[in-house]
Amino acid sequence: MRIAFFSDVHANFPAFEAMLRDMDQQQPDAVYCLGDLVGYHIWPNEVIAEIRKRKIASIAGNHDLKVIGLNTNPGDLQQPGKKYAYHIIKEMARDYLKTLPAYMKLEYQLNNDVLKLYLAHGSPRRVDEYVLIDTDQQYVLDMMNEAGADILFVGHSHKPYHRVLQTAEGNYKHVINTGSVGKPKDGDARACYVLFTINENSLAHDANSIHVEFRRIEYDIEKAAKALEESLLPIELADGLRYAR
Amino acid sequence: MKIALFSDIHANLPALEAFFKDVETRNADAMYCLGDLVGYNVWPNEVIDEIRKRSIPAIAGNYDFGIGRASDDCGCAYKTDEEKAMGKVSISYTNEIIKDEQRAYLRTLPAHIRLEFQLNNDPLNVLLVHGSPRKVNEYLFEDRDEKSLMRIMEQAEADIMCFGHTHKPYHRILPAAVTKDVHYRHAINIGSVGKPKDDDPRGGYVLLTINENSSIKDKDSIRVELIRFAYDVEKAAKAVEDSPLPNAYADMLRNG
Repeated sequence: MRIAFFSDVHANFPAFEAMLRDMDQQQPDAVYCLGDLVGYHIWPNEVIAEIRKRKIASIAGNHDLKVIGLNTNPGDLQQPGKKYAYHIIKEMARDYLKTLPAYMKLEYQLNNDVLKLYLAHGSPRRVDEYVLIDTDQQYVLDMMNEAGADILFVGHSHKPYHRVLQTAEGNYKHVINTGSVGKPKDGDARACYVLFTINENSLAHDANSIHVEFRRIEYDIEKAAKALEESLLPIELADGLRYAR
Repeated sequence: MKIALFSDIHANLPALEAFFKDVETRNADAMYCLGDLVGYNVWPNEVIDEIRKRSIPAIAGNYDFGIGRASDDCGCAYKTDEEKAMGKVSISYTNEIIKDEQRAYLRTLPAHIRLEFQLNNDPLNVLLVHGSPRKVNEYLFEDRDEKSLMRIMEQAEADIMCFGHTHKPYHRILPAAVTKDVHYRHAINIGSVGKPKDDDPRGGYVLLTINENSSIKDKDSIRVELIRFAYDVEKAAKAVEDSPLPNAYADMLRNG
């Protein structure tokens, strides 16, 4: 079974559309979104509508939670700044964001063992904690043991990686950062998502028994960057898209 | 957020197609399949293809578990010798017509999916299983002793437990007193799309609505709708009769 994981669309609808076109061709058996649908761009409503229309199972990111308790007055829609990205989110879309789950777990019983996939936006501990490729190994293992996770999927940092960690018992744990669809920060400006393959022989003690593919998708970056420059959002976000930083 | 939950399609393609038509009118935000895609009818491959085509997250039912492993045991609790004999025909027929790719899909379905909500800083755990959290083929009927049901949910850390397998839908709210505060757990049997057994031949599924104030402390803050939809039962029944499957399965579809 092949599963698509993506996150951090950040209201970049042109990037999201391009990523979906590629994903539709790849025909994954299931799709999960790890949050941060909104923030940093002008199309949060379009992104949310598409995710809802497709009924994609999603969890909440830290930016999605910014709509909780957010009051929008007409003046807020004239005010330049980062907050503009949240004020433009419509009421029904806000309701959706407010009720996204924080975590998801998929438990596999493929053979005589259990394999647990854990989906978090930041980390199993906090929605806004970064789990990076060089985060202390023991710290990550402790966090995964605490969460009962064999394979941890996170987003939030916008820097994709697949890291294999060996436990004291000789088993392997995997951390997979899905990167970012709409705001990559790893120097590669293309949209990023993950295709993950699990098969009947996938086991905790065989590091090579799962397969992770990072898909990088070109999209009309100039369109997305120009739209930022013409908006009330901070102008430096446009170069952030162009140079993936 | 509105979540559509469906299960126990049992290779009944006309029922699955009617389900998709109905659910499209309900504005669901997410959709999960709780297993038993195959068995008892002639369209196991087509049902799997429709679910895969839509990338719907699904878990394994006992029948999927059996067919995924090319086993001659579906884990079904047949009572009489006649039922057992009919069951044997169904599983060997399904094993015969299922294709490799579709079997591999069933083989790698997860057993459970858990959604952990944190609304207003209160955890609310939704657990999706096929039979029960303990066993894929355990039947949790509506008349299950309250203490037993409660213990199962406590052990699985499920505030809302959704399951299928019995083909008889219900929603039970179980009050639990923890120190002085009462909180509520919800046991939701989502019924069956393609083989209902509650004397209503229409297909069934559930819409679960969680809003920003949903809480274990307020039993009415979680909305559960048991939906029924009509489909071409005769087409599904005839397909059974025109196949090597026992004709009794056709009448079961007609009579629910």
